Amino acid sequence: MNLTLPRFFLREFRKRRKKTALITFALFWGTLCVLILLAFGRGMSAQSRVAFSGLGENLIMISGGQSSIVHGGLAKGRLIRVYPNDIEDLKKRIPEIAVIAPESYNGWPVSARGKELNRTVHGTTPEFAGLRTQIPQPGGRFINADDEAEGRKVAFIGWKVAADFFGGEEAVGKEIIVNRVPFTVIGVLQKKIQNSMYQGPDADQVYLPFSAFSQIDSQPYLDRIHVQPRELGLSKLVEERIRTVLGRKYRFDPADRYALGIWNTIDNAREQEKIFKRIEIFLGVIGALTLFIGAVGVTNLMYAVVRERTQEIGIKMAVGARRRTIVLQFILETLFIFAKGTFWGFITAFNIVGLVRLIPLSEEGFGIGAYLLRPVFSMDIFFIFLGIVGTLVFLAGIFPATRASRLNPIEALRYE
Amino acid sequence: MSKAETIIELRGIKKVYQMGGHALEALSGVSLEIGRGEFVSVMGPSGSGKSTLMNIIGCLDTPTSGEYYLEGKNVAGLTFDQLSSIRNQKLGFVFQNFNLLTYATAWENVEVPLLFNGKNARRRRQRITELLEAVGLLDWKEHRPSELSGGEQQRIALARALANDPPILLADEPTGNLDSKSGEDIMGLLGGLWKEGRTIVMVTHDDRIAAHSERTIRLFDGQVA
Ligand SMILES: Nc1ncnc2c1ncn2[C@@H]1O[C@H](COP(=O)(O)OP(=O)(O)OP(=O)(O)O)[C@@H](O)[C@H]1O
Ligand SMILES: [Mg+2]
Repeated sequence: MNLTLPRFFLREFRKRRKKTALITFALFWGTLCVLILLAFGRGMSAQSRVAFSGLGENLIMISGGQSSIVHGGLAKGRLIRVYPNDIEDLKKRIPEIAVIAPESYNGWPVSARGKELNRTVHGTTPEFAGLRTQIPQPGGRFINADDEAEGRKVAFIGWKVAADFFGGEEAVGKEIIVNRVPFTVIGVLQKKIQNSMYQGPDADQVYLPFSAFSQIDSQPYLDRIHVQPRELGLSKLVEERIRTVLGRKYRFDPADRYALGIWNTIDNAREQEKIFKRIEIFLGVIGALTLFIGAVGVTNLMYAVVRERTQEIGIKMAVGARRRTIVLQFILETLFIFAKGTFWGFITAFNIVGLVRLIPLSEEGFGIGAYLLRPVFSMDIFFIFLGIVGTLVFLAGIFPATRASRLNPIEALRYE
Repeated sequence: MSKAETIIELRGIKKVYQMGGHALEALSGVSLEIGRGEFVSVMGPSGSGKSTLMNIIGCLDTPTSGEYYLEGKNVAGLTFDQLSSIRNQKLGFVFQNFNLLTYATAWENVEVPLLFNGKNARRRRQRITELLEAVGLLDWKEHRPSELSGGEQQRIALARALANDPPILLADEPTGNLDSKSGEDIMGLLGGLWKEGRTIVMVTHDDRIAAHSERTIRLFDGQVA
C-alpha cells in the first residue's frame, strides 16, 4: 500500500492543528460532560435500587387493625389482632407462602458494662433473618432453630448497639441485660445501606428468639407477621389469601382494608420503580439535550472549517488532485479530530468517575453521598454517544468537502 | 515556427455565465491554434474574457460549447480525474495572485503536484531541490508564503507549475501583482523556459511584457480581434 498520500494528509493535519483545536476541544468537552452526567445518573438510579433492597424484597407485613365494615353480625370498630398461632394457620392454608415469621417488640432498658440505654427489643424466629436481610458480621450468627426451640437467652444486636456498649471490642459472647434478664450476644448485624425503614434503623435494634422474648413480655398478640411469597408475581394473591384466612378466623370482611394493617413491599417497589424510571428519563433527556447542543456546535464548527478550505481544495485540484483524494483527506481529518476529542473525553470521564468512586461514603445510614458518589460508567451509553456524534461530525466534515470537490477548480478557487 | 505541430486548438469556444436572471457571454466563439514551443501572449481590455479563456485552456473550467483539442485529444469527453491528471502533468498554471497554500512552506508547496503524481520521497526531494534552485529560492525553502515577497511567491508558484515538467505553461497576468523588477525576474525565467522548448501562453496588460512573446492574440468582447 502506498502511504505517500496518507503521510501527506497527516503532515497537513499537524500543520493546521491549531485551526481544528477548537473542534477537538468541543468534542472532548462534550464527550466528558455527557459521559459524566449519565454516569452520575446511572449511579443514582443503581444506588436507589440498592438502598431499597436493604429492606428485603417481596415482603408482606401484617399487623392488627380495626374493622370498618359490619360483618357476620359484628359491629365495626372492633380491634383485630394477629396471634402466634396464625403463623401455623397461614402456612398451612396458603401454600404460596415461602417464608413466614412472627415479630413482637417492646421498648426496654438494655444495659451492659454499667451503661443503660432504651432500645427497641424484638422477638422473632430464625426465618426473619432471610426476610429482612439480617446478615451477621463474621464470627457471629442470627438466632437459630435451637435458640428458638429451647428458649435460649441469646441476642442478635445492631452494630450501633454493639458500639454503644462495647466500643470497638468484640461483642459476640458478651452479656447484655434486657429488662433485667441477662442475654448473651450471638451476633452483630452487618452494616448495610437502608433507606426504607420502620422502627428506626436496624443498627439500633436488639433481636431475641421469639420464645425467650415471650417469657419477658406479657403481650399475647403479635405486633407483626412477615410473609414472603414464593414468587414476586404471587404477592397480591398471597395478600388476598391472608385477608381471607384471617377474616374467617377473626370474623371480618376480607374486603375490609382497615381490619388488618398490610404493607406489601411490591406496592412500594412499584412506586419506587416509577421514580427510578422518571429519574432515568429526566437524565436521559438532559443527556440527549447536552448531546444535541454539543453535536450542533461541533457540526457547525466542522462545517465552517471545511468551507473555509474551499480555496485550498481549489488549489489542490488545480495542481492535479483527484476528487477522491480531496474527499479522502477530509474523511481522514474528520476521523482524526473525532477520535482525538472523544478519546480524551472518554479517558478523562472514565478517570473522574473512577476517582469519585474512591471517595469513602459515611457509614451513617444512607446519605446524599451514596447517591452522588457512586457514578456508574456505562459503555453502552458511550457507544450510543459515539454513534450519534460520529455520524453528525462525519456529515458535517464530509458534506462540504464533497460539495467542494464537485466544483470546478476555478469555482473552488474563487470561493469566498 | 508556423509549421510546428499544433498543441492547443480551440474551435468556437463559448462561455456563458448565468447570473441570476440574465446570461453573460464571456467568450463568444473563440477559435485559435497554438503550436508546440510557441510563446503566445493574450491581451485585451479588462473584461474581454482573457482569464475565462486561460481557465478553459488550463482545464480549470469547462466551456459552454465549442471544442478544445489538447495535443490533438478532445478534452470535452474527459472525466474530472482525467482532467486532474492533465492539470498535473501536461499543464502548469501560474496565477496573478499566486494561489499558494498559506499554511505550507515553499518546499511543501512545490511538493504538492509531485505527491499527486505519486512520486516517491527521493524523487520528490531531488526535483524540488532542482526547481527551487532554478527559481533561486532554495535558501527560502522553509519559508511560508507570508514570509516571502510577491516576486518570491510568484517564483515558488512557477516552480510548482513546473513540478511535473509539463510541456505547456499557462500564466494569467503573472506579473500583474509584482513590481517591475520582480516582473522582469519572472519574465526572465519564462523566457528561459520557452528556450528549453516549452509552450507558453501568458495573459498580460503590459506591452513591454508582451514584447517577450513571439505572437500576441488580442481579445475584444469575448472574441479574437
Ligand atoms: N464566475 C463568473 N460569473 C459571472 N461572470 C463572470 C465570472 N467570471 C468572469 N465573469 C465575467 O466575464 C467577463 C470576462 O471576465 P474575465 O475575468 O475573463 O475578463 P479578463 O479579460 O480576464 O479581465 P481582467 O483584465 O480584468 O482580468 C467579465 O465581464 C466578467 O465580469
Ligand atoms: Mg483576468
